[in-house]
Amino acid sequence: MDRNDPLPPEIELAQLLQHCAARDSAAFRLLYDRTSPILFARLLRMLRRRSVAEEVLQEVYVRIWERAAQYEVNRGRALAWMVTIARYCAIDLMRRERLTLVGDDALAEVADESTAEPGAFEKPNHFDDCIGRLSQNTQQCLTLAFVEGHSHDEIARLTSNPLGSVKSWIRRGLMSLKDCLSKERQTA
Amino acid sequence: MKSSNRELVDRLAAEYVLGTLRGRARRRFERWLVSPQVRVMVNDWEQRLSGLEPSLQKVTPPARVWQGIEGRLELGRSRRSAVRWLAIAATVLLAILGLFTLRPVDLVATQQANIEADAQTIYWRVKLLGDNQELSVQVLARHPLESGKSHELWILPAQGNPVSLGLLPTSGTQHLVLTAEQRAALAGAKQLAVSVEPAGGSPTGLPTGEVIHVAPLSPA
Repeated sequence: MDRNDPLPPEIELAQLLQHCAARDSAAFRLLYDRTSPILFARLLRMLRRRSVAEEVLQEVYVRIWERAAQYEVNRGRALAWMVTIARYCAIDLMRRERLTLVGDDALAEVADESTAEPGAFEKPNHFDDCIGRLSQNTQQCLTLAFVEGHSHDEIARLTSNPLGSVKSWIRRGLMSLKDCLSKERQTA
Repeated sequence: MKSSNRELVDRLAAEYVLGTLRGRARRRFERWLVSPQVRVMVNDWEQRLSGLEPSLQKVTPPARVWQGIEGRLELGRSRRSAVRWLAIAATVLLAILGLFTLRPVDLVATQQANIEADAQTIYWRVKLLGDNQELSVQVLARHPLESGKSHELWILPAQGNPVSLGLLPTSGTQHLVLTAEQRAALAGAKQLAVSVEPAGGSPTGLPTGEVIHVAPLSPA
Protein backbone atom coordinates (compact mmCIF):
# COMPACT_ATOMS: atom_id res chain seq x y z
CA MET A 1 0.00 0.00 0.00
CA ASP A 2 1.09 3.52 -0.72
CA ARG A 3 2.91 4.83 2.32
CA ASN A 4 2.14 8.41 1.34
CA ASP A 5 -1.48 7.63 1.86
CA PRO A 6 -3.18 11.02 1.67
CA LEU A 7 -6.39 9.75 3.27
CA PRO A 8 -7.20 10.65 6.85
CA PRO A 9 -5.72 8.03 9.15
CA GLU A 10 -8.16 5.19 9.70
CA ILE A 11 -7.66 5.18 13.43
CA GLU A 12 -8.66 8.79 13.72
CA LEU A 13 -11.77 8.18 11.66
CA ALA A 14 -12.68 5.14 13.72
CA GLN A 15 -12.38 7.22 16.88
CA LEU A 16 -14.49 9.99 15.42
CA LEU A 17 -17.18 7.46 14.53
CA GLN A 18 -17.13 6.18 18.09
CA HIS A 19 -17.66 9.72 19.34
CA CYS A 20 -20.49 10.13 16.86
CA ALA A 21 -22.09 7.00 18.30
CA ALA A 22 -21.96 8.77 21.67
CA ARG A 23 -23.81 11.70 20.03
CA ASP A 24 -20.83 14.06 19.97
CA SER A 25 -21.78 16.57 17.28
CA ALA A 26 -18.36 18.29 17.29
CA ALA A 27 -16.75 14.96 16.37
CA PHE A 28 -19.36 14.57 13.65
CA ARG A 29 -18.44 17.95 12.19
CA LEU A 30 -14.76 16.96 12.19
CA LEU A 31 -15.59 13.65 10.55
CA TYR A 32 -17.58 15.51 7.91
CA ASP A 33 -14.73 17.93 7.21
CA ARG A 34 -12.23 15.09 6.87
CA THR A 35 -14.28 12.77 4.72
CA SER A 36 -16.92 14.72 2.80
CA PRO A 37 -14.53 15.68 -0.06
CA ILE A 38 -13.83 11.97 -0.58
CA LEU A 39 -17.47 10.88 -0.40
CA PHE A 40 -18.62 13.80 -2.54
CA ALA A 41 -16.12 12.85 -5.24
CA ARG A 42 -17.34 9.25 -5.07
CA LEU A 43 -21.00 10.31 -5.38
CA LEU A 44 -20.25 12.64 -8.29
CA ARG A 45 -18.62 9.75 -10.05
CA MET A 46 -21.82 7.71 -9.76
CA LEU A 47 -24.51 10.37 -10.01
CA ARG A 48 -22.79 12.89 -12.30
CA ARG A 49 -25.08 15.75 -11.43
CA ARG A 50 -23.87 18.07 -8.70
CA SER A 51 -27.27 18.97 -7.35
CA VAL A 52 -28.20 15.29 -7.04
CA ALA A 53 -24.85 14.38 -5.47
CA GLU A 54 -25.25 17.17 -2.90
CA GLU A 55 -28.67 15.91 -1.95
CA VAL A 56 -27.43 12.34 -1.58
CA LEU A 57 -24.38 13.49 0.39
CA GLN A 58 -26.74 14.96 2.99
CA GLU A 59 -28.59 11.68 3.22
CA VAL A 60 -25.28 9.82 3.54
CA TYR A 61 -24.15 11.84 6.56
CA VAL A 62 -27.56 11.62 8.18
CA ARG A 63 -27.23 7.83 7.89
CA ILE A 64 -23.64 7.86 9.15
CA TRP A 65 -24.76 9.79 12.23
CA GLU A 66 -27.67 7.47 12.82
CA ARG A 67 -25.67 4.28 12.26
CA ALA A 68 -22.38 5.29 13.86
CA ALA A 69 -23.14 2.88 16.70
CA GLN A 70 -23.20 0.01 14.23
CA TYR A 71 -19.69 0.64 13.03
CA GLU A 72 -17.49 -2.03 14.54
CA VAL A 73 -14.26 -0.41 15.58
CA ASN A 74 -12.30 -3.64 15.69
CA ARG A 75 -13.07 -4.27 12.02
CA GLY A 76 -11.17 -1.12 11.02
CA ARG A 77 -11.79 0.24 7.55
CA ALA A 78 -13.78 3.22 8.74
CA LEU A 79 -13.56 5.04 5.43
CA ALA A 80 -14.56 1.95 3.47
CA TRP A 81 -17.60 1.63 5.75
CA MET A 82 -18.60 5.21 4.97
CA VAL A 83 -17.99 4.84 1.24
CA THR A 84 -20.22 1.76 1.21
CA ILE A 85 -23.02 3.77 2.80
CA ALA A 86 -22.53 6.41 0.10
CA ARG A 87 -22.62 3.85 -2.70
CA TYR A 88 -25.82 2.25 -1.40
CA CYS A 89 -27.46 5.67 -0.98
CA ALA A 90 -26.56 6.53 -4.57
CA ILE A 91 -27.93 3.20 -5.84
CA ASP A 92 -31.11 3.73 -3.81
CA LEU A 93 -31.57 7.11 -5.39
CA MET A 94 -30.99 5.75 -8.89
CA ARG A 95 -33.54 3.07 -8.14
CA ARG A 96 -36.08 5.57 -6.85
CA GLU A 97 -35.63 8.23 -9.45
CA ARG A 98 -34.85 5.79 -12.25
CA LEU A 99 -31.98 8.03 -13.22
CA THR A 100 -30.84 7.07 -16.65
CA LEU A 101 -27.52 7.61 -18.31
CA VAL A 102 -26.68 11.22 -18.73
CA GLY A 103 -24.70 12.72 -21.56
CA ASP A 104 -21.19 14.05 -21.61
CA ASP A 105 -22.36 17.56 -20.84
CA ALA A 106 -23.25 16.45 -17.34
CA LEU A 107 -19.89 14.76 -17.06
CA ALA A 108 -18.19 18.02 -17.89
CA GLU A 109 -20.04 19.64 -15.03
CA VAL A 110 -17.98 17.69 -12.53
CA ALA A 111 -14.71 17.40 -14.37
CA ASP A 112 -12.59 20.28 -13.14
CA GLU A 113 -13.58 20.63 -9.52
CA SER A 114 -10.74 18.67 -8.06
CA THR A 115 -8.77 20.36 -5.34
CA ALA A 116 -6.68 17.70 -3.68
CA GLU A 117 -4.47 14.71 -4.28
CA PRO A 118 -5.95 11.35 -5.22
CA GLY A 119 -6.85 8.98 -2.43
CA ALA A 120 -5.99 5.31 -2.12
CA PHE A 121 -7.91 2.49 -0.52
CA GLU A 122 -6.26 -0.55 0.87
CA LYS A 123 -7.08 -3.47 -1.41
CA PRO A 124 -7.66 -7.03 -0.22
CA ASN A 125 -4.51 -9.15 -0.52
CA HIS A 126 -3.90 -10.45 -4.04
CA PHE A 127 -6.78 -8.37 -5.41
CA ASP A 128 -4.88 -7.04 -8.42
CA ASP A 129 -3.60 -10.48 -9.25
CA CYS A 130 -7.07 -12.02 -9.05
CA ILE A 131 -8.87 -9.28 -10.96
CA GLY A 132 -6.14 -9.46 -13.60
CA ARG A 133 -7.04 -13.08 -14.29
CA LEU A 134 -10.54 -12.10 -15.43
CA SER A 135 -11.24 -11.29 -19.08
CA GLN A 136 -11.07 -7.65 -20.17
CA ASN A 137 -14.83 -7.69 -20.79
CA THR A 138 -15.52 -8.94 -17.30
CA GLN A 139 -13.22 -6.41 -15.67
CA GLN A 140 -14.87 -3.61 -17.60
CA CYS A 141 -18.37 -4.74 -16.59
CA LEU A 142 -17.44 -5.02 -12.91
CA THR A 143 -15.88 -1.56 -12.94
CA LEU A 144 -18.82 0.05 -14.72
CA ALA A 145 -21.15 -1.45 -12.12
CA PHE A 146 -19.14 -0.82 -8.98
CA VAL A 147 -17.43 2.46 -9.76
CA GLU A 148 -20.01 4.18 -11.96
CA GLY A 149 -23.11 2.56 -10.50
CA HIS A 150 -24.46 1.33 -13.84
CA SER A 151 -27.15 -1.35 -14.10
CA HIS A 152 -26.91 -4.46 -16.29
CA ASP A 153 -28.95 -2.74 -19.02
CA GLU A 154 -26.82 0.37 -18.98
CA ILE A 155 -23.60 -1.64 -19.16
CA ALA A 156 -24.96 -3.62 -22.12
CA ARG A 157 -25.77 -0.39 -23.94
CA LEU A 158 -22.51 1.32 -23.03
CA THR A 159 -20.32 -1.57 -24.12
CA SER A 160 -22.54 -2.64 -27.06
CA ASN A 161 -22.74 -6.17 -25.74
CA PRO A 162 -25.81 -8.39 -25.42
CA LEU A 163 -27.49 -8.12 -22.02
CA GLY A 164 -27.21 -11.87 -21.50
CA SER A 165 -23.44 -11.79 -21.96
CA VAL A 166 -23.06 -8.87 -19.56
CA LYS A 167 -25.08 -10.67 -16.90
CA SER A 168 -23.13 -13.88 -17.23
CA TRP A 169 -19.72 -12.16 -17.32
CA ILE A 170 -20.61 -10.37 -14.12
CA ARG A 171 -21.99 -13.45 -12.41
CA ARG A 172 -19.05 -15.64 -13.36
CA GLY A 173 -16.53 -12.88 -12.78
CA LEU A 174 -17.72 -12.38 -9.22
CA MET A 175 -17.49 -16.07 -8.43
CA SER A 176 -14.03 -16.41 -10.01
CA LEU A 177 -12.87 -13.42 -8.00
CA LYS A 178 -14.17 -14.98 -4.81
CA ASP A 179 -12.51 -18.33 -5.54
CA CYS A 180 -9.22 -16.72 -6.46
CA LEU A 181 -9.13 -14.48 -3.36
CA SER A 182 -9.90 -17.37 -1.03
CA LYS A 183 -7.35 -19.69 -2.69
CA GLU A 184 -4.66 -17.04 -2.54
CA ARG A 185 -5.46 -16.47 1.10
CA GLN A 186 -5.06 -20.17 1.84
CA THR A 187 -1.77 -20.50 0.02
CA ALA A 188 -0.38 -17.26 1.42
CA MET B 1 -29.43 -22.59 5.33
CA LYS B 2 -29.19 -25.36 2.72
CA SER B 3 -26.03 -25.29 0.62
CA SER B 4 -27.97 -24.70 -2.64
CA ASN B 5 -29.75 -21.76 -0.97
CA ARG B 6 -26.49 -20.56 0.41
CA GLU B 7 -24.99 -20.37 -3.07
CA LEU B 8 -27.98 -18.48 -4.41
CA VAL B 9 -27.95 -16.03 -1.51
CA ASP B 10 -24.21 -15.54 -1.92
CA ARG B 11 -24.71 -14.72 -5.62
CA LEU B 12 -27.40 -12.22 -4.72
CA ALA B 13 -25.19 -10.76 -1.98
CA ALA B 14 -22.40 -10.28 -4.55
CA GLU B 15 -24.69 -8.41 -6.96
CA TYR B 16 -26.23 -6.45 -4.10
CA VAL B 17 -22.80 -5.16 -3.13
CA LEU B 18 -21.71 -4.66 -6.74
CA GLY B 19 -24.88 -2.62 -7.27
CA THR B 20 -26.37 -4.62 -10.14
CA LEU B 21 -29.15 -6.06 -7.99
CA ARG B 22 -31.82 -3.46 -8.61
CA GLY B 23 -35.47 -2.66 -8.24
CA ARG B 24 -37.73 -4.99 -6.34
CA ALA B 25 -35.06 -7.69 -6.12
CA ARG B 26 -32.79 -5.26 -4.22
CA ARG B 27 -35.58 -4.31 -1.87
CA ARG B 28 -36.42 -7.95 -1.24
CA PHE B 29 -32.79 -8.79 -0.59
CA GLU B 30 -32.51 -5.94 1.93
CA ARG B 31 -35.17 -7.67 3.98
CA TRP B 32 -32.95 -10.72 4.22
CA LEU B 33 -30.28 -8.62 5.90
CA VAL B 34 -31.99 -9.39 9.20
CA SER B 35 -30.28 -12.74 8.97
CA PRO B 36 -26.79 -12.67 10.50
CA GLN B 37 -25.68 -15.30 7.94
CA VAL B 38 -26.73 -13.07 5.06
CA ARG B 39 -25.03 -10.10 6.67
CA VAL B 40 -21.78 -12.02 6.92
CA MET B 41 -21.98 -12.79 3.19
CA VAL B 42 -22.62 -9.14 2.40
CA ASN B 43 -19.73 -8.02 4.61
CA ASP B 44 -17.41 -10.48 2.88
CA TRP B 45 -18.41 -9.16 -0.52
CA GLU B 46 -17.99 -5.57 0.63
CA GLN B 47 -14.48 -6.46 1.64
CA ARG B 48 -13.68 -8.32 -1.60
CA LEU B 49 -15.06 -5.67 -3.92
CA SER B 50 -13.45 -2.79 -2.01
CA GLY B 51 -10.48 -3.51 -4.27
CA LEU B 52 -12.47 -1.87 -7.08
CA GLU B 53 -12.63 1.48 -5.23
CA PRO B 54 -11.16 4.08 -7.56
CA SER B 55 -8.64 6.73 -6.53
CA LEU B 56 -10.42 10.01 -7.06
CA GLN B 57 -9.56 13.66 -6.76
CA LYS B 58 -11.27 15.03 -3.67
CA VAL B 59 -14.09 17.49 -4.27
CA THR B 60 -15.11 19.77 -1.42
CA PRO B 61 -18.89 20.03 -1.22
CA PRO B 62 -20.51 23.47 -0.87
CA ALA B 63 -21.34 24.74 2.64
CA ARG B 64 -25.06 24.31 2.06
CA VAL B 65 -24.67 20.53 2.29
CA TRP B 66 -23.48 20.72 5.90
CA GLN B 67 -26.19 23.27 6.71
CA GLY B 68 -28.74 20.83 5.36
CA ILE B 69 -27.37 17.99 7.48
CA GLU B 70 -27.29 20.18 10.57
CA GLY B 71 -30.87 21.21 9.94
CA ARG B 72 -32.10 17.67 9.40
CA LEU B 73 -30.42 16.32 12.52
CA GLU B 74 -31.10 19.42 14.61
CA LEU B 75 -27.48 19.47 15.75
CA GLY B 76 -26.28 22.15 18.11
CA ARG B 77 -29.63 23.81 18.24
CA SER B 78 -32.52 23.10 20.48
CA ARG B 79 -35.74 24.18 18.92
CA ARG B 80 -37.76 25.25 21.85
CA SER B 81 -40.99 25.55 20.02
CA ALA B 82 -44.32 25.33 21.76
CA VAL B 83 -44.91 21.97 20.11
CA ARG B 84 -41.73 20.59 21.59
CA TRP B 85 -42.57 21.74 25.09
CA LEU B 86 -46.02 20.32 24.72
CA ALA B 87 -44.50 17.00 23.69
CA ILE B 88 -42.22 17.01 26.74
CA ALA B 89 -45.13 17.90 29.04
CA ALA B 90 -47.19 15.07 27.56
CA THR B 91 -44.35 12.59 28.07
CA VAL B 92 -43.95 13.63 31.70
CA LEU B 93 -47.69 13.35 32.26
CA LEU B 94 -47.76 9.89 30.70
CA ALA B 95 -44.79 8.83 32.84
CA ILE B 96 -46.60 9.98 35.99
CA LEU B 97 -49.78 8.22 34.95
CA GLY B 98 -47.67 5.18 34.14
CA LEU B 99 -46.46 5.03 37.74
CA PHE B 100 -50.01 4.54 38.91
CA THR B 101 -51.19 2.18 36.22
CA LEU B 102 -48.27 -0.26 36.09
CA ARG B 103 -49.51 -3.58 37.24
CA PRO B 104 -47.26 -5.79 39.33
CA VAL B 105 -45.33 -8.34 37.32
CA ASP B 106 -45.74 -11.78 38.73
CA LEU B 107 -44.06 -13.77 35.98
CA VAL B 108 -40.33 -14.38 36.26
CA ALA B 109 -37.98 -13.28 33.50
CA THR B 110 -36.55 -16.34 31.76
CA GLN B 111 -34.67 -14.83 28.83
CA GLN B 112 -33.43 -11.38 27.98
CA ALA B 113 -31.80 -9.42 25.21
CA ASN B 114 -30.04 -6.08 25.38
CA ILE B 115 -30.42 -3.93 22.32
CA GLU B 116 -27.33 -1.85 22.53
CA ALA B 117 -24.74 0.22 20.74
CA ASP B 118 -22.08 -1.14 23.08
CA ALA B 119 -21.92 -2.38 26.66
CA GLN B 120 -22.17 1.22 27.92
CA THR B 121 -25.09 2.23 25.74
CA ILE B 122 -28.06 -0.09 26.09
CA TYR B 123 -31.13 1.29 24.37
CA TRP B 124 -33.71 -1.31 25.29
CA ARG B 125 -33.72 -4.28 27.64
CA VAL B 126 -36.18 -6.90 26.46
CA LYS B 127 -37.26 -9.59 28.93
CA LEU B 128 -39.31 -12.67 28.19
CA LEU B 129 -41.44 -13.63 31.13
CA GLY B 130 -42.60 -17.06 32.22
CA ASP B 131 -42.85 -19.59 29.43
CA ASN B 132 -42.69 -16.82 26.81
CA GLN B 133 -46.15 -15.68 27.90
CA GLU B 134 -45.26 -12.04 28.30
CA LEU B 135 -42.63 -9.60 27.30
CA SER B 136 -41.39 -6.44 28.92
CA VAL B 137 -39.34 -3.77 27.19
CA GLN B 138 -37.54 -1.14 29.19
CA VAL B 139 -36.05 1.97 27.63
CA LEU B 140 -32.60 2.56 29.13
CA ALA B 141 -31.30 5.10 26.63
CA ARG B 142 -33.23 6.89 23.98
CA HIS B 143 -32.44 5.67 20.49
CA PRO B 144 -32.21 8.40 17.82
CA LEU B 145 -35.09 8.19 15.35
CA GLU B 146 -36.02 10.20 12.29
CA SER B 147 -39.44 11.83 12.50
CA GLY B 148 -42.16 9.84 10.79
CA LYS B 149 -40.45 6.54 11.66
CA SER B 150 -40.87 3.86 14.31
CA HIS B 151 -38.61 1.17 15.71
CA GLU B 152 -40.08 -2.28 15.36
CA LEU B 153 -38.95 -5.34 17.29
CA TRP B 154 -38.74 -8.74 15.58
CA ILE B 155 -38.20 -12.34 16.54
CA LEU B 156 -35.71 -14.10 14.28
CA PRO B 157 -37.15 -17.61 14.51
CA ALA B 158 -35.04 -20.73 14.11
CA GLN B 159 -36.79 -21.15 10.75
CA GLY B 160 -38.88 -18.89 8.56
CA ASN B 161 -39.54 -15.19 8.36
CA PRO B 162 -39.14 -12.67 11.18
CA VAL B 163 -42.22 -12.25 13.37
CA SER B 164 -43.11 -8.83 14.75
CA LEU B 165 -43.18 -8.12 18.48
CA GLY B 166 -44.61 -4.67 17.86
CA LEU B 167 -43.25 -1.17 18.11
CA LEU B 168 -40.56 -0.30 20.61
CA PRO B 169 -41.41 2.36 23.19
CA THR B 170 -39.41 5.59 23.33
CA SER B 171 -39.59 5.88 27.12
CA GLY B 172 -40.55 3.88 30.18
CA THR B 173 -41.36 0.19 30.29
CA GLN B 174 -43.90 -1.61 28.16
CA HIS B 175 -45.58 -4.94 28.79
CA LEU B 176 -47.01 -7.17 26.15
CA VAL B 177 -48.95 -10.42 26.37
CA LEU B 178 -47.63 -12.58 23.57
CA THR B 179 -49.82 -14.22 20.95
CA ALA B 180 -49.65 -17.90 20.02
CA GLU B 181 -47.82 -16.96 16.80
CA GLN B 182 -45.23 -14.94 18.69
CA ARG B 183 -44.72 -17.70 21.23
CA ALA B 184 -44.28 -20.30 18.50
CA ALA B 185 -41.70 -18.11 16.78
CA LEU B 186 -39.86 -17.58 20.07
CA ALA B 187 -39.49 -21.31 20.66
CA GLY B 188 -35.92 -22.03 19.60
CA ALA B 189 -35.26 -18.43 18.51
CA LYS B 190 -31.85 -17.15 19.51
CA GLN B 191 -32.03 -13.54 18.37
CA LEU B 192 -34.21 -10.46 18.24
CA ALA B 193 -33.84 -7.68 15.70
CA VAL B 194 -34.87 -4.04 15.41
CA SER B 195 -35.78 -2.38 12.13
CA VAL B 196 -36.67 1.19 11.22
CA GLU B 197 -40.19 1.29 9.81
CA PRO B 198 -42.69 3.93 8.78
CA ALA B 199 -44.52 5.43 11.80
CA GLY B 200 -46.97 2.84 13.06
CA GLY B 201 -44.92 -0.12 11.94
CA SER B 202 -44.19 -2.24 8.90
CA PRO B 203 -47.03 -2.13 6.39
CA THR B 204 -46.29 -5.66 5.17
CA GLY B 205 -45.83 -7.63 8.37
CA LEU B 206 -42.17 -8.18 7.49
CA PRO B 207 -39.27 -5.80 8.03
CA THR B 208 -39.31 -3.25 5.20
CA GLY B 209 -36.69 -0.81 6.45
CA GLU B 210 -33.12 -1.03 7.56
CA VAL B 211 -32.36 -3.55 10.29
CA ILE B 212 -30.28 -1.60 12.75
CA HIS B 213 -29.78 -4.06 15.60
CA VAL B 214 -29.62 -7.81 16.08
CA ALA B 215 -29.37 -8.92 19.69
CA PRO B 216 -28.86 -12.41 21.10
CA LEU B 217 -31.37 -13.84 23.58
CA SER B 218 -29.71 -15.19 26.70
CA PRO B 219 -30.99 -16.75 29.92
CA ALA B 220 -32.08 -14.01 32.34
